[in-house]
Amino acid sequence: MSVRLSDHLLQFRLNQLHPLPKLIVCLIWLVAAIAVFDAHFQLVTIVLAAAALVLFNRSSLWLVLGLMVPFALFGVGFLTTSILFRDGSDFAGKMAAEAPFVSEGVSAGVVLFLRAIACGMVSALFTLTTNPGDLVKALMKDWRLSPRIGYALFSALNLVPDLASEAQQIRLARAMKRGGLPRRIPGLVEGFSLMLPLLAFAIRRASRAAIAMEARGLTGNSTRTILGAPVLAWRDMVFSGSALALLAAACTLAWMLR
Amino acid sequence: MPGALPAPDPDGVATWRGTTVRFRHQRRDAVGPVTLDLAAGEHLLLLGPSGAGKSTLLDTLTGLIPNVIPAAVGGSVTALGVAAHSRTPAGWAQHIARHFQDADQTLCGMRVDDEIAFALENQGLPAEAIRQRVATAMRDVGIDEAWRNRRTTTLSGGERQLVALAATLVQASRVLLVDEPTSHLAPLAANRLHQLLMTRAPGRSVLIVDHRLDGLIAAIDRVAVLGPDGSIMAEGPPAVLFRTHAGRLDAAGVWRPLASHLDTALATQEVAPPQPPVSVADVVTHLKALGGAEKALARQALTPLVAAALPRVPTPALAVREIVVRLSGADCAPLLGPVVLRNVDLAVARGEILGILGANGAGKSTLGLSLAGLVRLKGGARDGAPGGVAFQNPENQFVTGSVREEIEAALAVRGTEASRPETADTVLAGWGLGHAASQHPFELSHGQKRRLALATLTARGRWPLLVLDEPMAGLDAAATAALALRIEALAASRHAIALITHDMDLALRLCRRCVVVGEGAILADAPTAEVMADAALLAHAGLAPPVLKPVLDWFGEATA
Repeated sequence: MSVRLSDHLLQFRLNQLHPLPKLIVCLIWLVAAIAVFDAHFQLVTIVLAAAALVLFNRSSLWLVLGLMVPFALFGVGFLTTSILFRDGSDFAGKMAAEAPFVSEGVSAGVVLFLRAIACGMVSALFTLTTNPGDLVKALMKDWRLSPRIGYALFSALNLVPDLASEAQQIRLARAMKRGGLPRRIPGLVEGFSLMLPLLAFAIRRASRAAIAMEARGLTGNSTRTILGAPVLAWRDMVFSGSALALLAAACTLAWMLR
Repeated sequence: MPGALPAPDPDGVATWRGTTVRFRHQRRDAVGPVTLDLAAGEHLLLLGPSGAGKSTLLDTLTGLIPNVIPAAVGGSVTALGVAAHSRTPAGWAQHIARHFQDADQTLCGMRVDDEIAFALENQGLPAEAIRQRVATAMRDVGIDEAWRNRRTTTLSGGERQLVALAATLVQASRVLLVDEPTSHLAPLAANRLHQLLMTRAPGRSVLIVDHRLDGLIAAIDRVAVLGPDGSIMAEGPPAVLFRTHAGRLDAAGVWRPLASHLDTALATQEVAPPQPPVSVADVVTHLKALGGAEKALARQALTPLVAAALPRVPTPALAVREIVVRLSGADCAPLLGPVVLRNVDLAVARGEILGILGANGAGKSTLGLSLAGLVRLKGGARDGAPGGVAFQNPENQFVTGSVREEIEAALAVRGTEASRPETADTVLAGWGLGHAASQHPFELSHGQKRRLALATLTARGRWPLLVLDEPMAGLDAAATAALALRIEALAASRHAIALITHDMDLALRLCRRCVVVGEGAILADAPTAEVMADAALLAHAGLAPPVLKPVLDWFGEATA
């Protein structure tokens, strides 16, 4: 039995889960991360989300660490604000008064810093392991979302990879004019210079997608067939139960360590 | 004026009566006045030069214009006996399937199987029936099962076109509107698609816009030609129309099938077939039946055409062959992508036009980028100066707000703001873009965008190597002929050129040497004549011989 369980765990992937229970679990965890103002809780959240991505999505550790960078940069803003303007952050200071850091300001700042990363990692866990098409189908089938809104959401979810692909083409063309190879990762100046053409692309892409869907008969009619919509399975219940149990344990730990 | 129009034909599945379309803020009509019918079960080919309004006319039939794209529509348009604008495009979708010129307008960015099933899901068909029809459409069009779960945005341009066609054909609608369905397809795939589109289905009417006419024309009942002014300039059965209006069509830059060109050439020596030919096979049958003096006259008549179909730019002699770029044992991969071609050994010399041929998704564009040094090799080495690339989508190359600024930016010396306006004028005039100097590059026609992209690449003579990725796709006959001359001139001015194309006749005409890409490697690197004569190689690589080949074979025999 234990061998079979380990086999199941080895074969389990987060992208096999039904998107809706996963969405609910992630939303509950996000609410908890906002409500529980505790560094331990935020750390546990970060570690669990990262571990889930590495173990059950086969994401490389470097990718997961890389994902944390933008959220960490966002969190640094909170940290510095809390340290420099500690008098202004009265509520956060009181909340963090008993936390194990050198001062109220630093303590509150660290919690806010970790919370930014924790929320980011929970979001990343959902987006990296969920096919936008499956999510939209599940929303239309199980939550009766209007097909028009569903496919508009689908287009929006797909815009990010499409923008990335378009950006590569533009970067190639610009590198050619510049007379060199494009950098693997665009710098700040290059990134900003891509914004306007990518915005224009996004508008064109959205307009084309709307026309394509309209021309192929998409209406607000809820009687349309939904092919290949995700189906709830035991693993969804096991995942949801386990995730909520872990959340309860993390909340208890945070409460005990205060 | 509308009151003076005749009543719509109740038997026509689509009728345009004095139809005009004028977009907002435009001073002239984009198309019209057009009076045209599409009968039940008819296969109608709509031809016309770039910008004549062919796609616009199609858009009026599904209510896309004016219900989604605002425009003033004059006259009347009816579909299946109902005013076209009375329904939304979604309302027409069950009856009229529309394939857009740009595959990205047909596709919605889903996974391949979802994309093909989408229209059927919208019709509310049973799931099992949808699965079966999707599987059949994929098999008919030749879509690999392995693509099922790939997003269409990750496919090559030609692969996307195949999926778009499958998504259109799967609807099995009464009316099929197909706009340039094969412009990015490799020859074998294009031939298969033409057969699929033109298979007679009971009651199904097809209105097709295409410039790849050979292989298509035999299944066409009637041709209508839009003139440069947006009105119908000729209409009738294909063979007769091409014989009767050949001169006018050429003057308007409208594509004619090769059989028609051969017919015109033979007519100069009064040895044309008695009945206007529909296909090259018809012409060859006629040629083989000629004897003695008539055969000599036919050979004489075809000599200029055959000469024009073969390369004019001489191959650099081995002794003076100056290699511009060389790939040695190169593993080629797109930017941030996996290796698609391994162990490539390839060199391009000054003054040479190298053809790069291969099936859709074979890695031709990646090879082009690697030759230009725009992507890092994953293995092996590249020697040579950087190259310039005319991308498949020319819009990616434009970075300024006007055509003039694009040229000025290309002329400006790196690191300075200085440019030479008088030279910009010369360049613009040279490429026929002087009248469009103040326009935004995105406002240009497809052919103009291609010309602008090439003008920016060649303005300062900066790149000794130019990689042209399907430069003729979507161009009309006049623009294609003009661009071919440009390419020859660039080679004559000692540029090395790598030409990525699906047009085997174009490759035969411009390239003395071709490489065939397939199965993750270079399958052949040989003189074009040898490549084109190797039927097994061509079939293996998803290619087909040039349409002209049977005539060249006859010509060779006749000369011998």
